Amino acid sequence: MDKPRLVTPPKVDPNIAIEVDELDFFYGDFHALHAVDLRIPAHKVTAFIGPSGCGKSTLLRCFNRMNDLVPVARIGHGSIRVHGTDIHGPNVDPIELRKRVGMVFQKSNPFPKSIYENVVYGLRIQGRAKRDELDEVVERALRQAALWDEVKDRLHESGLGLSGGQQQRLCIARTIAVEPEIILMDEPCSALDPIATSKVEELIFELKKQYTIVIVTHNMQQAGRCSDLTAFFYLGKLIEIGATEKIFTNPREKQTEDYITGRFG
Amino acid sequence: MKNPNRFDRTRLRLDHLIARFFGANALVAIVVLALITLFLFREGAAFFPMNLENLRNYRLAGLEYVGMMRDEIEGHTALNRSLQDLRLRQMNALLAEKKSPEAIQAELAKFDAFTAEFDSAVDELRGVVSDLTDAVTAIKDKAKLREDALQQRQFLLNEGKRAEADAVPVTEIDFVKELEPVKAAFPLFESASLQFRGKIETLLLRPPTLPVKALQPRFEQFQKAARAYIAAFPETNRRLKEWNQFAPVPWIRSVTSFLFGTEWITNSFWQDWYGVLPLLTGSLLVSFIALLIAVPLGVCTAVYTSELAHPAEQRLIKPYIEFISAIPSVVLGFFGIAVLGETLRALTQWKALSWISFFPIAERLNAFTAGVLLALMALPTIFTLSEDAINSVPRAFKEASYALGATRLQTVFRILIPASLSGIISAVLLGFGRVIGETMVVLLCAGNRIAIPDFTQGLGVFFQPVHTMTGIVAQELGEVANGTIHYRALFMVGLLLFVLALGINWLAQLMVRRFKISIG
Repeated sequence: MDKPRLVTPPKVDPNIAIEVDELDFFYGDFHALHAVDLRIPAHKVTAFIGPSGCGKSTLLRCFNRMNDLVPVARIGHGSIRVHGTDIHGPNVDPIELRKRVGMVFQKSNPFPKSIYENVVYGLRIQGRAKRDELDEVVERALRQAALWDEVKDRLHESGLGLSGGQQQRLCIARTIAVEPEIILMDEPCSALDPIATSKVEELIFELKKQYTIVIVTHNMQQAGRCSDLTAFFYLGKLIEIGATEKIFTNPREKQTEDYITGRFG
Repeated sequence: MKNPNRFDRTRLRLDHLIARFFGANALVAIVVLALITLFLFREGAAFFPMNLENLRNYRLAGLEYVGMMRDEIEGHTALNRSLQDLRLRQMNALLAEKKSPEAIQAELAKFDAFTAEFDSAVDELRGVVSDLTDAVTAIKDKAKLREDALQQRQFLLNEGKRAEADAVPVTEIDFVKELEPVKAAFPLFESASLQFRGKIETLLLRPPTLPVKALQPRFEQFQKAARAYIAAFPETNRRLKEWNQFAPVPWIRSVTSFLFGTEWITNSFWQDWYGVLPLLTGSLLVSFIALLIAVPLGVCTAVYTSELAHPAEQRLIKPYIEFISAIPSVVLGFFGIAVLGETLRALTQWKALSWISFFPIAERLNAFTAGVLLALMALPTIFTLSEDAINSVPRAFKEASYALGATRLQTVFRILIPASLSGIISAVLLGFGRVIGETMVVLLCAGNRIAIPDFTQGLGVFFQPVHTMTGIVAQELGEVANGTIHYRALFMVGLLLFVLALGINWLAQLMVRRFKISIG
C-alpha cells in the first residue's frame, strides 16, 4: 500500500508544526501504531478520526510524550519532530516539551482548586507568582476560552462547581494560559451536551488563529465542521490524510469511505 | 418445572434467608459493641458515688486537716533533697579536680554542717505531725471498718437473712469527738512550726559559701526557695484555723478529682487518690512521640511508593511494611527492653552528646523507648491508609498536571498531597487511635512511673518514665477485689480510653467524608 502523503511536504517548512516519520509504537507486545507518516500544518485544525482502538489517541499522546508515563509504552522505530526538533532527542526535556505542546483531555479534569488557581497552575509551577501578571493571564486565558463573562465574579470558587461544558472550557483556558504552540485535544466534547459542544467548537475556530490544533474525535460532523485537515486511522495505520472537504466528499481509499458513510465503526 | 410460581417463591425465600443471615451478622456486631459500652458504663459509673464518699471521709476523719501539716513537712523534705543533690554535684566537681577524699571532706565541712542543721530543724515538728497522722489514720480505719460492716449487712439483707444482718456489729462514729484531740493539738503544731521557722531563718542569715563557685547560683536558688517556703507558713496556719470538718464536698468534685487529679495513689495507709491526669499525660506523651516519628515516615513512604518508586520497589516495600503489623506486640516490647532501651542509654552516655542537658538519661525504659516502638506499630496503619488516599486521587488530575509541564515532585506536592490531605489526616488519626490503645509495649517499655512528667525539662521530658492508661488497667485490674473503688476507678480509665478512641475515629471518619466531597 502506498504511504499516504500530504500534497506539498517541503522538509523545512515553517508552516509544518509536527512531522511524524515512519513511527512504530508498542504497548508491551502490542503493536499499536504501524509506520505512521504524516505532517501537521501550523495554525490549522487537524482532526484524527477512526474507530475505537485505531491508535489515534495514542499518536496524539506521542506528541507531548504523555506516553512516557505508561511504563510498558515504547517507540519501536521512527521519529517525531515538533517545529523541526526531534522530541525524543537527547537534549529534549519532556517537561519543556509539554509547556510547548498543551493538552485537553476527554473528560474535563479541573483540579480541586479555585477557578483562578486552575488557570494559573501552569505558571505557578514555572515559578511565576507575580500577582499582576497572574491576574492578567487569568483574564486573557478565560476571555480566549470564552469563559470570562460567566466566571469573572467567582474566580475564587472551586472549579468543580462549574457545569461540564464550563469545566472543559476551564481546562482549555488552563492550557492556553501557558501559551503553548500546539494544543492537543483528545475527544474534548465526548462528554458534553450539544450546546456545550457547539461552544467548544466555536472556541476551536477562534483558537486556530493563534495555535496549531490537533483534535481526536469520534464525531464525524464535528470533524467536518471544525477541521481543515482530516486524518483517518484504522487498526494502527494511517489510511489517509487530506483536506477535510476532500476526505468527506471524495476519499481516495475505500476504507475511509466506508467509515465515513457509517458502514462500520 | 410444573409450577414456576412455586419455584419463584422458594428462591425468594432463599434470598430472604441469605439477607437475614448477613443482617444477623451485622446485628451481632452492633449488639456486642453496645453491650461492651453498657458494661463499661455500668461498672464504671458507680465509681463516682464511691469516690465522693472517699473524699467526704477524707475531710470527716481529719485527713485533710493533718494533710496540710504534712504538706509543710513534705516541703522541707523536697528542700532537703535539693541540698543532697547540691552536695553530690560539689563532690563530683571536686573529684574532677583530682582532690583527695579527706581534702574534699574538709572543704565541704561548712556546707555539711549547714545541711545537718537544716535537716534536724524539722525534727520536733515532724514528731508532732507524726502523732497527729497516727490519730487521724486511726479514725479513718474505724470509718473503714464501719463501712465494711454496713456493706456486709446490706449483703445479708439482700440475701434475705435479716437476723444475721442485725447481728453484724456496727459501731457509730462521732467524728467531732474523735477529732477533738487532733484539733486540740493545734497550738502544739503552731509553736513547733514557729520554732522550726525561726531555726531556718537564722540558718539562712549565715549561709556558707560553696567551694565550687559554679554551683553558687544553684545554692542561691535554694535559699530563695527556702525563704518562699517559710513565708507560706502563716497562710497554712490560717487555713488550719479556718478548716471546717463539715464543709460539704460538692458531688462534682468526685468527677473533677478523677479527670484533673494529679495523683494516682492506691493501697496507701494515708489516702487513696484516683486522678487520671498522670496516666493521661503519659499516654498522650508516648503517642505524641510515636506520631512524631511515624507520621513523616509513613506519609513519605506512602508518597514514595505510590508515586516515585519503581514497580519492583513497590512490590518489596508494601508487603514489608504491612508485615510489621504481624509482629506480636509482646515481642516488640521484649525487643524494647532488651535491645532498644539499652542501646538508647548507651547512646546517650556517648561523650559527643554530653552537651545535651538531659543526657545521659537515667532510665532505659522511658516514654521515648515506648514511643519509638509504638511508632513502628502505627507505621503500617498510617502508610497503608495514606497510600490508599494518594492512589485514590483521580489519574486525570495527575495527567493534567503533567500535561501542563509539571515535574513529578511538583505534581506530588501541588496536586496529590492537597487532594488527598484529608485522607492522610484521617490515616494519621487512625494511627493515633492505634497507638493510644496499645497496651503491651507501653506496659513493658514506658517505665511505669505514675507521675506527671516534668515538662520544665524541655525535650528531656521525652526521656522520663511514664505510666499509661492502658498500662495501669492491664497492671492493676488483675489484683483488685471486684466492686471496690479501685476496681471501678480502673473501669473509668477504660471508659475514658474508649471515649477517646471513639472521638478519634469519629474525627477520622469526618475527614474521610470531607475528602470524598473534595474529589467530587
